[in-house]
Order: sequence, then C-alpha cells, then structure tokens
Amino acid sequence: MNMKTHVSALALAAGAAFGAAGSVGAWTLEEAAKPYAGTELEVLFLDRPGYNAAIKMLPEFEAATGIKVNYTTVPYENALGEQVRDFVAGGDLDIALIDLVWMGNFAENGWVVPSETFINNAALADPALDMADFFPLVLDAFGSWNGVNYGLPFDNYSGLLFYNKCMLEAAGFDKPPATWQEVMDTYGPALTKDGKFAYALQSKRNETQSADSFARFLWPFGGSFLNAEFKSNLNSPESQAGLQFRQDLMKFMPEGIVAYDHAETVNAFAQGDVAMITEWSAFYSTVVSPETSKVADCVEIAPEPTGPAGRKPALGGFSLAVASQADEAEQAAGWLFIQWVTSKANAGKYLEMGGVPARQSAYADPALAATFKFIPALVESWQEGVPEFRPRFAEWPAITEIVQEWGTKIMLGEVSIEEGAKNIGEKMEAVLAEAGYYDGKKPLAQ
Amino acid sequence: MTTKVSRKTLAAFLGPAVFALAIVGIAPLLFAVWKSLHYFNLTKRAQERFVGLENYATVLTDQAFWEAMGRTALLFIIAVPVQIVLGLIIALVLHRPGLTLFKTLTRLSLVLPMATTYAVVGLLAQVMLNQKYGVINQMLGWIGIESINFIGDPTNAFIAVILWDIWQWTPFVALILLAGLSTVPPEIEEAATLETRSNWTVLRHVQLPFLIPSLVAVLILRTADTLKLFDMPFTMTRGGPGSATEFIAVLIERVGNRQFDIGMAAAQSIIMLAVTIVLARLYIRFFYREVR
Repeated sequence: MNMKTHVSALALAAGAAFGAAGSVGAWTLEEAAKPYAGTELEVLFLDRPGYNAAIKMLPEFEAATGIKVNYTTVPYENALGEQVRDFVAGGDLDIALIDLVWMGNFAENGWVVPSETFINNAALADPALDMADFFPLVLDAFGSWNGVNYGLPFDNYSGLLFYNKCMLEAAGFDKPPATWQEVMDTYGPALTKDGKFAYALQSKRNETQSADSFARFLWPFGGSFLNAEFKSNLNSPESQAGLQFRQDLMKFMPEGIVAYDHAETVNAFAQGDVAMITEWSAFYSTVVSPETSKVADCVEIAPEPTGPAGRKPALGGFSLAVASQADEAEQAAGWLFIQWVTSKANAGKYLEMGGVPARQSAYADPALAATFKFIPALVESWQEGVPEFRPRFAEWPAITEIVQEWGTKIMLGEVSIEEGAKNIGEKMEAVLAEAGYYDGKKPLAQ
Repeated sequence: MTTKVSRKTLAAFLGPAVFALAIVGIAPLLFAVWKSLHYFNLTKRAQERFVGLENYATVLTDQAFWEAMGRTALLFIIAVPVQIVLGLIIALVLHRPGLTLFKTLTRLSLVLPMATTYAVVGLLAQVMLNQKYGVINQMLGWIGIESINFIGDPTNAFIAVILWDIWQWTPFVALILLAGLSTVPPEIEEAATLETRSNWTVLRHVQLPFLIPSLVAVLILRTADTLKLFDMPFTMTRGGPGSATEFIAVLIERVGNRQFDIGMAAAQSIIMLAVTIVLARLYIRFFYREVR
C-alpha cells in the first residue's frame, strides 16, 4: 500500500467517522420539526407545579419548532374522565397524560402509541434521548405496561416525609423518625400537644384515600392489595397489621382527618399546626415558599419512615404518551414535544422552574441537591418503590372507588378493619372476575 | 265566538318546541334506556353486549343504591318542610304592607343564594366549615363554642349538607310563595282581617287555599332538585366521609363518570326518573285537586 493509498484510506475513514458524527450532530429539534411546523397539539394539564414549569418552557419549544401546544388545565379528579371520553369519541387530544394507575387502561384500549415507534424513527428520535437515564422504577411504573413503554415520565412524585425541624427540635429530636414504629412510640406522643399534632395523613374520600392513606400503610408492613393469584390480600396478617397501625396512628392526627385532602394537609403543615406529613415531592415548592408557608425556614425533607417490610414509599406520577387517535403529523409533533420536555437537557431547567424530572443525571449535580432539599430523599425513595403500589390495570378506576368508600369507613370506625378489608376484597374480586382475570382471559398483570 | 286555528298554525307554533324537546330531552332519554339494557363500560368497549334487564336487577338489589336513596329521602324529608316553613314566614312578612325599602332589599338578598352556582356553594361550605381554619368555627369560638368537625364527621357532614341546602333554597320557596300570596284578592284578605284578629285563621282559611298551586310547584321542583342534588355535596364532601353524604345523584355520577359503567348508571338514572314521575303524579293527585 503506498502513501497515497494510506491517505485516501484515512480520509475515507475520517470522512466516514465525521459523516457518522456529522449525522448525529445534524439531528436538531429544529430540523426534525420542520415538516410539522404549524401543527397544533392538544393536551390536558393539571394545575400543579410540574405543569406550570412546562408551561413556562413552552414558548422556547414553540419558537424552535413552529409546533403549537394547546393545553387545557383540569382538576386531577376530572383528568381521567375527560381523556376517556375524548379517546372513546375520537376527539382532539394528541397527547395522553397518564397517571401511573391509568397506564393499563390506556394501553389495553390502544389509546396510546408505543414509544418504540418513534425511537426507531431516526428522523424523530433525539440521539441524546438516553432512555437509560430515567430512573428505572419510574420509567417502568409511570410509562410502561406489560413490558412495553408508552410514555416518558413527566410529572414525577414519590412520597416523602416533610418535617418541621423547629418543632422536632423543640420536642428534643435532632433527626426525623426512621421507622413508623418511632412515629407511633416516640414522636407521636411528644409532638401531639397544645393543639398541635405530630402527623397528618391526607385521607379524603377520593384517590387520596386509596393512594396516600390506605396503600401507604399496606406496603411497608408487608401487605398488598392482591396476592400472586390476584385474590385479595387485604385480610393477610401483614395487610391487617398495616391498616391497624394506621388506625392507631390517628390519635396523633388532627380530628376529622378523613376530610383532609392534599390542600388541607399541606396547609396544616405550612401553618405550623402539624409537625410531619407524608406528601408528594411536588408540594415541596409550596411548603418552602414564605408566601404559602409560615414554616418555610423549618422545613426539612426525609424519605418516608420504614415499616417491618422496608420503606416502600408511596409512588405516583404522570407520563406523557402519544395518542393513537392523532394523525401522523400530530403524532410526530407530539413525540418531539414529549421527548423535548422530558429530555436530559431540559431536566435542570424543569427542576428550577418547579417540576420534578425523572432523569438520574439531573440529580447528580451536588449544587442542585443543595438547592432542592428533597433531592436526596427522592433519589433514595425511587430506589425502593414498588411499581404496583396501586395496581395499574384497567380495573383500578372501579377498585379505587371501593377502597375510597370502605377505607374511610374503616377510619371512621363504622366498620372494623377486618370487616372493611373483607368488603373491599370481595368487591375487588368481583370486579376482577368480571374482567376475566380468574378464567384466563386476561394475564395477571398489575 | 271562537276562532278555529288551522293545523298548520298549530304545527308552526308547537313544532319548534316539540322538535327541541325531542332533540334535547326525548332522544337522550331513549338512548339512556337503550344503553341501560347493555353492559357498556367506556374503558371496556370490546365487552359491550346486550344484557336485558340485568343492570336493573343489579341496581334494585344493590345495598349502596338503596342506602343512597334513603339518604336522599331523609334529606328531602328534613330540608323541604323547613324550607317551606321558613319560606312561608319570609313570604308573609314581605306580603305585609309598609317597610318598602326593607322589603326591596330583602327581595334582592333572597336572590343571591339561588344565583350562586351549586358547585361554588359546596366549595364555600368546604372552606367556611373547615374545623381549623373555617370562618364558621371561628365565629363559634367568639361565643365560646368549641370548634365543630363539620366535614370530617359523618353525622355532622350530613347535617351540614342539610343546612346548606336550606340556606340555598329557602329564598326560592319564599319567592314562589310570595308570588302565590299576591294572587289572594286583597278585598277577601281585608274582609277576613276585619272578621278575625287571628293571623293563623286568615292564613289557614284565606291565604293557604291560594298557596296550594305554589306549594305543589315547590314540592315538585324541590323533589326533582333533591333527587338530582350533586354539585354541592360533591364539591363539599365528595359523598363522604364514608358514604355519609353519598346521595343518589352522587352515586350515579360515581358509577358513570368514575367507574365508566354507563349501562349501570343509565339503569340507575331510569329508576330515579320513574321515582320522580311517580312522586310528581302523587303530588298532583293528592294536593293539586283541592283547587281544581
């Protein structure tokens, strides 16, 4: 081989490498979006910090792509119904906002498109997408069903222990409780006095009762909604122990706790009337803002206490997925938006604006962890959660209503824990039988 | 002399109303009846099938349905008589001569509760009745009464819904009865007041007969309103705590909009419609005939 040949070969190799690098570098949002400029997307948002952060980021996306994102803000309680009706009627929504417990419903009905469709499309997939950067638990629980990913985690929560350091210190504690038993035996009695309460557990009869109250005391005690055969596990000794613990803990909570939703609970904490709450990470900005919290300077965050079976904290959150009812251009534009708003590149900005990204890389920055006190606890919680904290199958909307009714009846003492759990179990099994889980028509996926 | 109106004229006058009623009333009703005979769940469209009267059998043997009906009936039995008594007292006061400015202001203020959106009334109650931060408990504290757990206690929550319903709808009853009192011929009233000094006698024998149509209207409208009472308890208590304020309309909404079981919710609605029609016919039969 002569010199000329050598140079040519190197140039060819370099050219090929440059070309390859060039083709990666060539992917830009602007270029990818060019065919879809002028496309309008319809999506539902909630009135929560993560959505407000995304709304503040929207102008940047719209300027870069020419794609318009039209969002409608609805209360959480209406979000499922609005979307179900829209998808059944073949409506306007191009992007689905999916709470983790709606995932089975949306996937089984074919209302959302698997992410693979877009990830395998070089014109649409951002080379920097890096799916492995999402917390695996969150990507699995919020965005996937039966091994197929549909949505990218967007508005992400874990249950955290918010505690009032000043109240704890005044009662002689220099750290938060590590276990639920400590809450019951030590922190509860010491902090419940003079019209103040040690703990508030939001338990209103809606999804709050199922997710924040009932399920929160099943898992750390080794209980669960269902056993391996999909029969009720609520009367198992572990589930009963957890529910009994919740009942006993009520003496350290404000009266009328069954009427407390998130707003009342966060408010009670922010007013300094309650020393500890277990709430979603999304409420961080509310309790540390002096405008909405009297105890902003005293707020500290820790992972939820552990039970006999471990931490297993409350898990909740939303993914965004492309709606199958959207036309081709809307689907492509929808994917570009979802990919952009949940991207690694935007995670820091989203966090600073009040959102909670599910990107591991975003939390690696020690400076951010110092600014946002919930980060270490959040990262720890997302290592220990269970995806089926609430079953995510299509029957959850029916089952959660049963849990809400009987869960509050148990707390009010209208039925015994055993009787209430038995009632929920029987009704839950009837729903599952009707759905076909017991005769092999449906796989036992939750 | 009577003028015969042509069929065309009749059709021209009645047609638009009948057409509108058919579109917005009859067609959806027939659709609901049809769907009530199916298993029809919005999230399980693949399983949709004709089930005959199965949904009706399920509803009629469902304890939750009858408990909700019982709660609704109890609300009606307590709230409506109180509204009628209070409304009648207000109407009689406003019917008396004199105090024109006071009466005008009262009439105006009576419209306010009715003009407030139901859902807003419920949200207001939720905030005002909050045990810790609500204005009502604060006011009770001024007079030395311990704060009351209005929303978190089943009995108190039920009472709170009743009181809120009375607050919102007593003015409506008062205005209807006031209109009824204005139909009493003044000369008869004057003659009666010359005959007796007893206000009760005048009310019982002179004014009340003229109020019967108004009372029947109140009963029919308030029955229908109570049966469909949804917005206020939903925003106030969401049917809780437990099932304490799960009235029939709240239950139907839960089944239809949250469990998406449209077939079952349609069957519940049709049964409720039948109850409403029967009650309306009973009112007309037993009360309205007195003034025929």
